[in-house]
Amino acid sequence: MMNKFNNTFFSLAVLVLFSACSSLQVTEESVADQSVSGVSLTPKSMSSQAVLANAVVYFAYDEFNLTSRSIQALKGVVELMKKNPNITITLEGHADERGTREYNLALGQRRSESVANYLMANGIKRNSIITKSYGEERPLSLGSNDTSWSKNRRVEIK
Amino acid sequence: MIQKSFISIFLFLSSLCFGELFLEITKGSEDPYKIAMIPFEGNRIDSKKLHNIISNDLRRTGEFFILDKELLSPLKIVDEEINYSDWKILGMDYLVTGSVIQEKNFVDVNYEIYDILKKKKIRNSKVFGIPDQLRQLGHYTSDGIYESITGIKGIASTRLLYVNEIKSSKPESRYNLMLADADGENEKVLLASPEPIISPAWSPDSRKVAYVSFETGIAKVFIQDIASGERESVLSKETQISSPSWSPDGKYLSLTLYQDGNAEIYILRLHDRVLTRMTNQFAIDTESSWSPKGNKILFTSGRSGSPQIYELNLRKLNPKARRISFEGSYNAKASYLPKEEGIIFVHRSEDGLFHIALKYKKENFIRILTEAKMDESPSVAPNGNMVIYGIKEKDLSMLAGFSLSGARFKLPASKGEVREPAWSNFLR
Repeated sequence: MMNKFNNTFFSLAVLVLFSACSSLQVTEESVADQSVSGVSLTPKSMSSQAVLANAVVYFAYDEFNLTSRSIQALKGVVELMKKNPNITITLEGHADERGTREYNLALGQRRSESVANYLMANGIKRNSIITKSYGEERPLSLGSNDTSWSKNRRVEIK
Repeated sequence: MIQKSFISIFLFLSSLCFGELFLEITKGSEDPYKIAMIPFEGNRIDSKKLHNIISNDLRRTGEFFILDKELLSPLKIVDEEINYSDWKILGMDYLVTGSVIQEKNFVDVNYEIYDILKKKKIRNSKVFGIPDQLRQLGHYTSDGIYESITGIKGIASTRLLYVNEIKSSKPESRYNLMLADADGENEKVLLASPEPIISPAWSPDSRKVAYVSFETGIAKVFIQDIASGERESVLSKETQISSPSWSPDGKYLSLTLYQDGNAEIYILRLHDRVLTRMTNQFAIDTESSWSPKGNKILFTSGRSGSPQIYELNLRKLNPKARRISFEGSYNAKASYLPKEEGIIFVHRSEDGLFHIALKYKKENFIRILTEAKMDESPSVAPNGNMVIYGIKEKDLSMLAGFSLSGARFKLPASKGEVREPAWSNFLR
């Protein structure tokens, strides 16, 4: 779904003349067309899917390895999935704001893959797991300090 | 003696705030070109507006000192006769005169540049457009002046893309992909979305943009035509796709695909959407960026244990990535300078802060160019003389820039957070 709005200007051809004369530069030019059409996306009516496994695991700065505390949290997820073999869970990786955005997107993905690997090593099928990353784009806690950053380096299990 | 005291007053004045653009010139060239610009003849409002646009454009390069116009009034030019020796006594290198004629359907700007030392006119130019385009006419004039004097193409008439996030807005307009003139004015919304937008990139002809949108729930790369607003997802694959960069001939996009769970670099041929895999590594590979000649790409890889910059020669069969950053434990998001004489990138220093850095090919050390805490996303102007990047001030993201001659500036913060600037190619 999108709608458009226009800001149309005249389109003029650019004409530049350079004189052959030794040192005096003579030019004539028109400014280029600047038409812009903007697009607005409307929010999808998200069929707010029921959260099946509500857990979050956290990571150290620049790291994607699971900590022993994360593993404790994941044991519950494994149990839940074994009891309900037909459910699919989404692992959503996130990073703190430090570092470049694209590298953080890739880092968030590595974090969600780490969780996926743990679940698979404990008998969960790959096709019941979806991994994705938001990088640093969806912080839980705003602010540029250690407390906020540690809350933002996470994988949300949904 | 008289000359010196004049100059110091002028330098003080030039560090003040002009119009809406906050110019913070902390250090310009030590030997700037000194220009006297007589207010253009014509309608006073247009003339004043033009004067501000042109002098701000030139000041921002850090290479010019502009004689303040209030101090020009006693120096009227009588009968087109240029009194070169008077301007020379004032220490001026160049004199700019001009006129602006605004009619119902058109605006003409005429300008002349005089070389004071050589005692002759070096340029006589006309720029025309429609009344709405006065800003553009000013930028074209600035570029004409810049080019005549420095011999290098100006970038005042180029444009910027950036991402604007307004946390307090209605959800549907929280994330915006914006387009503006190089001075931050004339802002337009290209895409308004309830979901994050990252990594905007220009097509080489500056008619299209590529970017990452999370509108489907995962990262996807879209191409959008600026004039028509038409847009499409570049690949129908289910996987996450990000980090677009256009080849200089416009025929290819390099991308990061996550189809085996890990970030790997691919090149997409646009006309038939054929994908070629470029990296195959257990570590992260992303942030690809083409060389100006189109024969190499730079990218960031975590294969050594920390993010570092690598270069891939595309002309070779089975090319091997060559590591080109060695200082420090975090070097990322690199791009080439326009003549490939060096690279600009994000560097984390030992104190954990992120800065924009430059490494020339000929040198074996890096130059740290910025001083804030979390500098990111550098983008180099097409003439290679300026860099724009993202900074964080009091937890708010905004854009800042510097010229390689030392001038620094900040763009006015529009509402909310502004980040990830991308500089267009030349437009004139």
